[in-house]
Amino acid sequence: MTLVDQNPAPADAPEPAPASSAVPRAKGNPWLPTPRGVWLVTGIELRRRRPSTKGWIFYGLLLALIIAVGVLLAVVSGEDMTSTPMEMVLVLVLGAGMLIAPSLAATSVNGDSSEGVLAPLQMTRLTAGDLAIGKLLASWLIAVVVLLTMTPFLVYAFARSGWHWGELVTVIGVILLVVLTSTAIGLAWSSLAARAVASVSLAHLTTGALLLGTLLVFIFTQPLVSETVTDTSRSVDYEALTDEQRVAYENWDWSEVDPATLPCVEGQSDWSYGVPHTERTAWLLLANPVVLIGESSPIISYDTWEQDGRAAPGMFAQMHSWVSDMRIGPSEADLAGQRYDECAMLVADANGQAYDDGWQEQQSTASVYPRAPWIGLGVEAVLLVGSVWIVIARLRVPYKKLRQGTRVA
Amino acid sequence: MTATATDVTTAAVSARGVSRAFGSVQAVADATLEVQPGTVTALIGPNGCGKTTLMLMLAGLLRPDAGEIRIAGIDPRTDSAAVRTAIGWMPDQLGSWDNLTCLQTLTLMGRGYRLAKHEARERGAGLLEMVHLSEFADRPTRVLSRGQKQRLSLARALMNDPDVLLLDEPANGLDPRSRVELRTLVRELAADGKAVLVSSHVLAELDEMVDEAVFMSKGRTLGDEIADKVADARRRYRVVALNDAALKAALTDAGVPFDEETVGAVIRVGDEDEAFHALAWLMGQGVRVHRFGPAGSALEQTYMAMEEERR
Repeated sequence: MTLVDQNPAPADAPEPAPASSAVPRAKGNPWLPTPRGVWLVTGIELRRRRPSTKGWIFYGLLLALIIAVGVLLAVVSGEDMTSTPMEMVLVLVLGAGMLIAPSLAATSVNGDSSEGVLAPLQMTRLTAGDLAIGKLLASWLIAVVVLLTMTPFLVYAFARSGWHWGELVTVIGVILLVVLTSTAIGLAWSSLAARAVASVSLAHLTTGALLLGTLLVFIFTQPLVSETVTDTSRSVDYEALTDEQRVAYENWDWSEVDPATLPCVEGQSDWSYGVPHTERTAWLLLANPVVLIGESSPIISYDTWEQDGRAAPGMFAQMHSWVSDMRIGPSEADLAGQRYDECAMLVADANGQAYDDGWQEQQSTASVYPRAPWIGLGVEAVLLVGSVWIVIARLRVPYKKLRQGTRVA
Repeated sequence: MTATATDVTTAAVSARGVSRAFGSVQAVADATLEVQPGTVTALIGPNGCGKTTLMLMLAGLLRPDAGEIRIAGIDPRTDSAAVRTAIGWMPDQLGSWDNLTCLQTLTLMGRGYRLAKHEARERGAGLLEMVHLSEFADRPTRVLSRGQKQRLSLARALMNDPDVLLLDEPANGLDPRSRVELRTLVRELAADGKAVLVSSHVLAELDEMVDEAVFMSKGRTLGDEIADKVADARRRYRVVALNDAALKAALTDAGVPFDEETVGAVIRVGDEDEAFHALAWLMGQGVRVHRFGPAGSALEQTYMAMEEERR
């Protein structure tokens, strides 16, 4: 190698000798997380974030406020079972978790690096995996603390919600997974971006993209999956009516005239429009974290909730119903187009029957349609694993590449 | 020549032909150095010459683009865990966990090196005493002054009882007393058999601390020619006499080469014995010598000479 030849070793280079050292040697360049390493890093991170006195006061005030809101709600709301407080707590936990934990994580790597406290840890026996998972857990545990703060409220809300224990545990588990994933995404941005401002905004943008982006894409792609449907109409041919029929029609008096004998004409006001095949794009909705929470919560039937011992369908049940509707997509009838049939309506009306377009039946079907949390869970899992992989790769030393515009430390 | 078994020497730190670029900036172009156990080596060069980058590569935090590095005979690229147990690194950037106390900082660091909790705590307390921070043991590190943080950083680098110490600008921000203590401490660590590489630009201080010096300029370590300059600088003795003319006349008559200074002259002597004889001879010539001694910091003189060449 020329580089070495240009710099020959000193002439009196010592004899080749085995590396002598009494220190027991560890081998290789490990990066996998180890339980004790993760535990240590989590401990360090949590100690660093231990609230000051002011922090504890703020936290106490927050707790008091939450208990107060809980008590107030208990007092003003009626005796009936209701799922609203329950849904409120869960949304609060999700919202707070998705705001707090990723913000903390998003400054965890680049912030430490610019403070000069990252490299000394990398110089110890802690592996990149230890640092990544430890930092992830520390930020996530803060969100868990938020959940624990909510416990009094949660217990009350649960008592009135008509949910079962298992269902509550499942939903909370899913919420904590969603928060964990958002935290990991924040951490990944933190290991990619040089400045804290950039990584925090990017973390929140990613969360926003998952929450709103999926919804917007779902809406804006509807024209792409739409099928043109033409509504047809059949109406009474006014011009062709006999005088007797005309009098009856104008007075809405069918005592003399049988409405079935009226002359009818087809297709005078047909019009065409697109019916989106939402069943093809409904997976976009299922990737949405909030929809995932809804899809993990219990099914409440629109028809039988009272017999089932449930509260009336709340926000989550409505969301499930709507999402299911989208997943089912347009029915045969929807695709066949509406048929406005004045003549048929006249006959039905005269016979004392209601004209049924089947909307209510559709609602009840959608409300008990099977839940579909797997796509959402899959997306969360992929994002979680991917983010952690990025963080570990970026924390491994010796560095090949540095974050643009940063120094080691 | 490739990396073979013959590359493994007794040197605790060895780097050969190491280079590293950041984008288009060649931070280290070609660095070669060796540090033997039990010795202190200075890494000297102007700001931005690549000292810190070289230190980072030696510490195993940064991958060199080319060249070979061995720490205690081990390649940091392939066996970084072993290298990390052998190295204590004191970064040039001061950083500490604001909310944690000094003792907590060291204890947690020690546990990062897989020491047992009580062991890490004891060692941490001992090191705090050594760097005179015992009274701050239970106070958060944010109350420390710059110099105190520097001392905490040194204690942190010693938590794993390393064989190799890399000190990046350790004297920055230290008060005069702490500097003297640092010097003593570094000599003691070397006496314990540790290999110490220290970068600094307070050259007068290094003079009394180091056994070897490696000069760096524009990403390159300067080799033998600079070593000669250091050796030459070490031989320079300044003589000042009450009768300046008599001094210069005596030297000229005897054919002794000397550098003329505004006050007195600078002569070269081989060793201390020769210095004694030179002084005795001058006195015998009737020169009324009132000052006789080494002409300032050898490293500083060399540094200045190197800087001048660069221009």
